[in-house]
Amino acid sequence: MKTLRLLLPLLRPHWRGFLLSLALTILTLAAGAALLGVSGWFLTATALTGLGLSFNLFAPSAAVRGLSFTRIVSRYFEKLVGHNATLRLLSDLRRWLFSSLFPKLPFGAKALPSGDLLGRLTGDVDAVDTLLLSAIGPAIGAIVISTTTTIVLAMILPAAAPIYAGAIVGAIVLVPTLLFAATRKFGRTAVAAASTMRVQTLEALEGAEDITWFGQQGPVLGRFIETCSQSAAARGFLGSHVALATFAVHALAGIALFATLLCGLEALAQENVSGPILAGALLAILASFEASNALVRATAKLGTGVAAAQRLQALVSLAPNGTEPRNPREPETSPSLVFDNVSFGYGGNLVLDHADLAVAPGERVAISGPSGCGKSTLLSLVLRLNDPLGGTVSVGGEPTTWIATETLYKSVCLLSQQSPVFLDTVRNNLRIAAPEAGDEELWQALDAARLGTTIRALPQGLDTLLGEDATSLSAGQARRLCLARVLLSQASIVLLDEPTAGLDRATELELFHQLPQILEGRSVIMVTHASIPETAGYRRLVLRDAQLSEVS
Amino acid sequence: MRQSTSNPDQAVRTQMKSLQRNGGLPLAIALAAPIGAGIALVFQAYCLAQVLGRTIEGGEPIEAVMPLIAVAAGLWMLRGAIAALGDYAGTIGAERIKRRFRTRLFARLLDRPASLASKPATGAVTGSLVDQVDALTAYFANYLPAMIAATILPLAFAIAVMPTDWVVGLLFLFTAPLIPVFMALAGWGAQAATNRQADAFLRLSGHFADRLRGLLTLKLFGRADHATNEVYAASEELRQRTNRVLAIAFLSSAILEFFAALGVAGVALYVGLTYLGFIGVNPGMTLSAGLFALLMAPEVYAPLRQLATHYHDRAAAKSALMEIDKQLGAAPEETTRRALSTATPTRQPGAVDVRDLTIRNETGSAILDQLELSLRPGEHLAVMGESGIGKSTLLRAISGLLPTAGHIELDGCPVRDLPDNERARRIVVIGQRPSLFKASIADNIRFARPAARREDILEAAWKAGIMEFAKELPEGLDAMVGEGGAGMSGGQAQRIGLARLFLTDPDLVLLDEPTAHLDAGTEMRCLDEILAFCAERTLILTTHNAEIAKRIGRTERLAAGRLFAAVGSVNQRKPHKGAA
Repeated sequence: MKTLRLLLPLLRPHWRGFLLSLALTILTLAAGAALLGVSGWFLTATALTGLGLSFNLFAPSAAVRGLSFTRIVSRYFEKLVGHNATLRLLSDLRRWLFSSLFPKLPFGAKALPSGDLLGRLTGDVDAVDTLLLSAIGPAIGAIVISTTTTIVLAMILPAAAPIYAGAIVGAIVLVPTLLFAATRKFGRTAVAAASTMRVQTLEALEGAEDITWFGQQGPVLGRFIETCSQSAAARGFLGSHVALATFAVHALAGIALFATLLCGLEALAQENVSGPILAGALLAILASFEASNALVRATAKLGTGVAAAQRLQALVSLAPNGTEPRNPREPETSPSLVFDNVSFGYGGNLVLDHADLAVAPGERVAISGPSGCGKSTLLSLVLRLNDPLGGTVSVGGEPTTWIATETLYKSVCLLSQQSPVFLDTVRNNLRIAAPEAGDEELWQALDAARLGTTIRALPQGLDTLLGEDATSLSAGQARRLCLARVLLSQASIVLLDEPTAGLDRATELELFHQLPQILEGRSVIMVTHASIPETAGYRRLVLRDAQLSEVS
Repeated sequence: MRQSTSNPDQAVRTQMKSLQRNGGLPLAIALAAPIGAGIALVFQAYCLAQVLGRTIEGGEPIEAVMPLIAVAAGLWMLRGAIAALGDYAGTIGAERIKRRFRTRLFARLLDRPASLASKPATGAVTGSLVDQVDALTAYFANYLPAMIAATILPLAFAIAVMPTDWVVGLLFLFTAPLIPVFMALAGWGAQAATNRQADAFLRLSGHFADRLRGLLTLKLFGRADHATNEVYAASEELRQRTNRVLAIAFLSSAILEFFAALGVAGVALYVGLTYLGFIGVNPGMTLSAGLFALLMAPEVYAPLRQLATHYHDRAAAKSALMEIDKQLGAAPEETTRRALSTATPTRQPGAVDVRDLTIRNETGSAILDQLELSLRPGEHLAVMGESGIGKSTLLRAISGLLPTAGHIELDGCPVRDLPDNERARRIVVIGQRPSLFKASIADNIRFARPAARREDILEAAWKAGIMEFAKELPEGLDAMVGEGGAGMSGGQAQRIGLARLFLTDPDLVLLDEPTAHLDAGTEMRCLDEILAFCAERTLILTTHNAEIAKRIGRTERLAAGRLFAAVGSVNQRKPHKGAA
């Protein structure tokens, strides 16, 4: 419920929609119950009247027609209004998630969410919406209908009312509660199994070569089958509980129905109730259990919905990363960069050990070293994606911790190894760096990144949609698009992390030679594990054993 | 992408049928359950109508109808039990189908031939294997039983009512031919809704996931607010589009309900007018008969309404299967079950003969260009060359994993003809970044030989220098390695790879920069162990370190797609050229 409270502020703007949807739900259920009730009463009454010419045929038949029409129309609008409100909420939920995630970036080296987690977020958002729409609506609807039926029953068949009330409370409160409590564990197991399945699939994909080289396909497949069986077993248990709960609701409806029947026949014999009323009441009771069946199905999904809401909550309530300086200072416009006695590492493993580095304005530095030695980490320190364990990093003469992050991001631009190509047009992909840039500038950047020819060859040019199912770029071309994006930024310090990954050696060399010219006037730190020719015009450093040293 | 049949829809349907066969007995029970419950319903409704008719109209005492009440109550419970059993069996059947299907897909994944393309779209593949397969549950557990029920039950109910009142029976029968029309009505609406909206939805969820992945980039470019608004706008656009589609889709189910209500009202009107004497077809109709007809009327249409609610499950399952096919469907070009080699091994195995080896990248330029190489059994070779020049590709090619032009032979037998298990036994490759699994360090080493004893693992760990860092860890070798090797540095991962080597017994050892991440001391110690291990084996090792190359002996330099004997190498040679 704590989770629900978190979502409450999001729900508030949509209360009209949800209230309307709820009212329509109740109207639909009520019309259904009344329809069957009136029909039963009507038929019985006509049968008893026999050739009774005095019987008013028109009022009840009009009621039947009216009720069935009401039910159809209100159900139609109930669905429409409900979906609209939910979709509105979903939009808000997405916006809220986005705006609350940004300040928390990056999540830190250890808690960095894998693609899997991010992928799951989309599913979680959808699951939360199920929680709200399919669980809460029917629950309130069922409570209203059952209360009304109980009151009506108490007036016409007082003996049956308590039994009916007991049965319906069991069906809409007890059974769903027990089901939720019993299935939570299996739900968690199923979710855990699915997550293991994801990990195993990822490992099989990424370790495909090792698995083949060592001939381990059999054991790897065996472990996966085991996970599949676990998942199937957990879902089987879940299914058995849902089936049991469905049966319990059905049985409770039966108890209510037959108890009312017996009480009714007793009352009929004593002429405390008329036949038509009894027939009508019985049919209305049947209809009133319609809502509780929907509730059981919703409860089965509740576990996932709650878990999803908790995950979202956990993510959103993470502490913001880093601290903004209280009195931010403005760095000088000259793009100098200084590492002073900087140490950094993960878990006692230092990747930088009291390192010093000074980059003068306009200077170009290339840092090489074996992969995994901490080159990318070094770049992350400049943007405060990590804060050093000791020492200071200064940009434009001011320590980065004294500069507002917004200012820092404007002065420093990073081409990271994970730079994504967004699911969007080429133009919009580039404009992320420069929203105001005209086509002329975009082409300049593309040409500089050696991608202009490729994009010009596309039938739709800058309007070509990039991404998964649209025209895709090769890995090397995607890399160059990201490079073009960086070139468009106005930052005076440019950090390039393996800018030539995915390029063949000839293009790589060409790019190394051209970068200094393209980035004229800006300070550049480039890290790469490729070897850089002496003639390319970089000050060359090597990072080894947590120390930076000049290449002679 | 698969060379699809002329009609992909047909292919998916065939696949659904064949999957259905895996459901076995549970699925059969699930499909039969609605019919059983339907039969129980007929008798229960009959008993209930009798009870009401005989007491209300006939004035009989409760005692007289008590047995009938008991039977009706029993049937009520029985009906519930059958439905619950069907429900459960459906879940079990669907889970069985999914388990087998996943197993098959995973096996296919492991059989996929390697390619130069560096990384598969891992997210999409895992999504297919986990989420898309889950989308099949609803089809097998809900849609199929509802489909069977909708085909049989309305007709069966019409026939059941016939003896009581043939007009009502005819009314039901008359509406029966309309059933396919109803279904088509429900179907079209739902299908159109699913298709059109699914498209937009996929684009939005793609957009959402896409922006989530690039969150940090957006932040660093100062585009946080813009991206947030963009996501909101896209989501709102989807909402409006979905609303328009839903309005049509729900209309079709409203029409279905309207017809159902018309049917029920028709029965009620007919029965009522008969009682009042306005219709004289069946003048002696009892209250029981009328109530029975009225109780059955909604049930005739209920299966159709049920089907309409599950109709989209079929469309969802279809699109899931198509997505799975797209991600995992590409069948291996050749069967991996290769014929057993007929070549007789030489006395001391491990002779490598590479002729005319050419490999091109995706743009068509040659990485390896008519490369020639031959090694005597037990010979050691160091391959040097600039980063990205193709050293790793050469090793992968020699291991027989890459599709290549040219000949690669181990002891006179083409490596691509070696059966999988024999190739794995005879050739061991340790890549630059060995794959680590979410398991303990010991189990990650054991990966190379699952039957290895603890002592063997311990020994391999010592040789590879793992104990140097493992002994600092509280759990030692039992410390867990995170998903994808999280928590391990490059050097540590490499040492685990080396330890794997020491558990095997190959003829040919291929090592890709095995000591690149190690500090100088560890590097030389590990090299000693490697050389000791390879004393009687053929070894090819790539390196940037001239000192290592010197200790290996024969050294060749890879450049412009060919090997050249390095200056100062023990084994001076001219560059290989032309055909052998």
